[in-house]
Amino acid sequence: MARIELRMPELGNEITEAQIDALLKGTGDKVSEGEEIVTITTPKVTMDLEAPATGTVLEVLVEEDEIVAVGTVLAVIET
Amino acid sequence: MPKSIHIDPVATRSSTELESRRIPVHSYARPMAEELRVRGADTLIMALRHMMVIRAFESGVASLKSTGSYRDLTYAYKGPAHLSIGQEAAAVGAAMALTPEDHIFGSHRSHGEFLAKGLSAIERLGDNTLTAIMEAHGDGALLRAVETHLPDESARGLAENFLLMGLLAEMFTREIGFNGGLGGSMHAFFTPFGAYPNNAIVGASAGIATGAALWMKTEGRDSIAVSMVGDGATGCGPVWEALNFAGMAQFERLWDNPGFLPVLYFFTNNFYAMGGQTSGETMSWDRLARIGAGLREDACHAETVDGTNPLAVADAVQRKRQLLLDGKGPAILDVECYRYSGHSTTDVNAYRTKDEIAEWTAVDPITTYRDSLVAEGILDAATADGIQSEVGAGMHAVYMAAANPEISPPAGLGSDGASIGRKVFAGSETPPIGRAPEPLSEPAKVARIRQNARKSRGGKDANGELLSPLKAITLRDGLFEAILHAALTDPRVIIYGEECREWGGAFGVYRGLSDLFPHDRVFNAPISEAAIVATAIGAAIEGGRPLVELMYADFIGRAGDELFNQLAKWQAMSNGLLKVPVVVRCSVGSKYGAQHSQDWSGLAAHVPGLKIIYPATPRDAKGLMASALASDDPVIVFESQRLYDQVELFHGEVPEGNFKISIGAPDIKRVGSDVTVLTIGPALYPALDAADSLARRGITLEIIDARSLVPFDYGPVLDSVTKTGRLLLVSEACERGSFAMTLASNVTRFAFDALKAPPRVLGGPNWIVPGADLEHGYFPQPFDIEDVILTDLMGDTGHVRKGSRAWDDLALARSGL
Repeated sequence: MARIELRMPELGNEITEAQIDALLKGTGDKVSEGEEIVTITTPKVTMDLEAPATGTVLEVLVEEDEIVAVGTVLAVIET
Repeated sequence: MPKSIHIDPVATRSSTELESRRIPVHSYARPMAEELRVRGADTLIMALRHMMVIRAFESGVASLKSTGSYRDLTYAYKGPAHLSIGQEAAAVGAAMALTPEDHIFGSHRSHGEFLAKGLSAIERLGDNTLTAIMEAHGDGALLRAVETHLPDESARGLAENFLLMGLLAEMFTREIGFNGGLGGSMHAFFTPFGAYPNNAIVGASAGIATGAALWMKTEGRDSIAVSMVGDGATGCGPVWEALNFAGMAQFERLWDNPGFLPVLYFFTNNFYAMGGQTSGETMSWDRLARIGAGLREDACHAETVDGTNPLAVADAVQRKRQLLLDGKGPAILDVECYRYSGHSTTDVNAYRTKDEIAEWTAVDPITTYRDSLVAEGILDAATADGIQSEVGAGMHAVYMAAANPEISPPAGLGSDGASIGRKVFAGSETPPIGRAPEPLSEPAKVARIRQNARKSRGGKDANGELLSPLKAITLRDGLFEAILHAALTDPRVIIYGEECREWGGAFGVYRGLSDLFPHDRVFNAPISEAAIVATAIGAAIEGGRPLVELMYADFIGRAGDELFNQLAKWQAMSNGLLKVPVVVRCSVGSKYGAQHSQDWSGLAAHVPGLKIIYPATPRDAKGLMASALASDDPVIVFESQRLYDQVELFHGEVPEGNFKISIGAPDIKRVGSDVTVLTIGPALYPALDAADSLARRGITLEIIDARSLVPFDYGPVLDSVTKTGRLLLVSEACERGSFAMTLASNVTRFAFDALKAPPRVLGGPNWIVPGADLEHGYFPQPFDIEDVILTDLMGDTGHVRKGSRAWDDLALARSGL
């Protein structure tokens, strides 16, 4: 059992923040590594962030429409 | 980059061999008796007559150019004479297989192709239609001249004289020429007969015809486009781009209406590109048709055809036409024939032997074909001679009438000398007709649109703090909203360029459009800037309204001919008969060095015929883009990559609904009284910073954002300079030859009495844009603006310069910098 964090990734040196467009998984959902969990939007792109490991979503720390900085923990997965 | 197409490494990496279809060479072998049975004697004889008409027409021009006279006419014809004597069978054979709804786009050597297409259309159109067409053209002036001076009892006879007179008068720069004399020999066309623009640039018709085919496919028309170019055009990059574009795999795999573009590349192969011998000297290919194998497994259905036999050509074009209508195109025909006349009248045949010319003259297409008709008993020699005499007499009458200034008045320059200028822009907007396109889903459900709906329309919060681009409408969003409105309401709008679809454009302007529109409305183009612009021109000429993207302004060079010789010219060269409503977006970069950071708006503005906008705020971007998309004129949109995230700081909020800002109207962004600063594009923002700094010293700047380069209303600038007496122009273009220099020169002239100091231009220096860390030494910075204002415009001799610009302008100029 390990707790793996999904963080808002670096998206190039000019992007400092992104908006949570959609939460595709919620607390308690089972996810496989590589499965899409959150859709984020920057001014230029919309992209899906994938589960870093297979397990269960322990908690989701952001809400839809929230603007978050690079590095922010978005969700925690328990393997 | 559609996710639906999987690139399988196992399949990709397995061993195989590539094959392509075999390419027939001179496979035509139908007996004349069979042709007689299928086509009938009238059609076969008509083909001979049409070849004779072309030969007579071209011989007249040859005679005028070489001797100054033709029969009893003495006339100094000053224009070009790229004659097609010897190539008549190719032109007539092609036209035999085409309907008036099929459109040909010719070359510089196109009198024959134009006449053949016109004559063929006249045969196919009914009398009433012909009469209506002739009456509708140019308020009927050409028809009246023909009715009076070249009368004929039949509508067809009259239409033939109309065709010949319209072309010859066009060549003689006469008002009743098909294009008012503004096109001339190499550009004449008459669209009601399916004869679309001929082109003086070798190979340029390939891309334009491909775009015409794109629009024919979009509209589902039962017709084809034909690019009639020469063998020399196979050496032109844009021709290869067009060939590739027409056969893009997506047309078959991704479009809802599968099928490749219905375009025939008809290479009139006379073996010489001016004086360079194509097969044997200047090209790799042995037979031109071989190029098809380099493109597609089906070898583009390429064939080499005997261009000295009209029936062999007609047979091939007929077969290719059917393939194209079935969506199996594009197709290539290598039509071999021989040009007896020189490339032009200055050609002394230094590159070919008399023996070669004599051997080809022995298989002259007209005598050979005539003899074959006589041998088969389809025509007797006396009748053939009679046709020849009748054609000659008719042609003589046409020449006499076209040269007579009382029948065919010379085109003029107008009482003010500017009548040609007034043809450059349409200045109109033609609203869409027909049903609005149906989007693939509800726009409000698209993520981008939902996000924009949540954003602030202004750029600052209630406390005056700047909002993040995630929270406020940006310049990128402003462009998107205007484009979305057009795409949702105007069925003529198609959007393409590199990475335009799933990626949303390299800078995200189109993000969301692929959720709403199928591939025939928004698609990814190959990295073929020439084809992107050329196809847009062809589609626009046919009724579309393409919005295309070049990604970086630096790539304008890759579409130089298409932007500067084609897009900019056809409105005027057609005497206003053609409109070319294409919007070309190009972003101006930074941080990527010398080949990705150039503001070439001034380069585009230099060429007459293009409207140029360069918005710097979200509101201006939305309003100007809406005007560009509504305009009947071509518009080049420059967008600074540095400003895509810019929020609105000036006019409150960006309106939610569609609205237009007039192209050409500069905008006062800040009122001041000491110095007028006229900025182009992103230079607005350093000017504002400089204004804040100088305000602390009691100096106020009036900042005017040019917003447009062409047209440009000098009024607000002259009013401002009258008030301030001082003018600084700031842009990111290198200074030499920049548009800011043009503005400075004109303001000096128009407001000379009000000036307290000579206007000063501040741009980039005349060298390469350096990499990101040195850009501050290239693009004008706030401190550079302060330096120039204080020293050059305010005469502050004690000012200590803050910027790096300590060079001696005169010394640099002397060394070419």
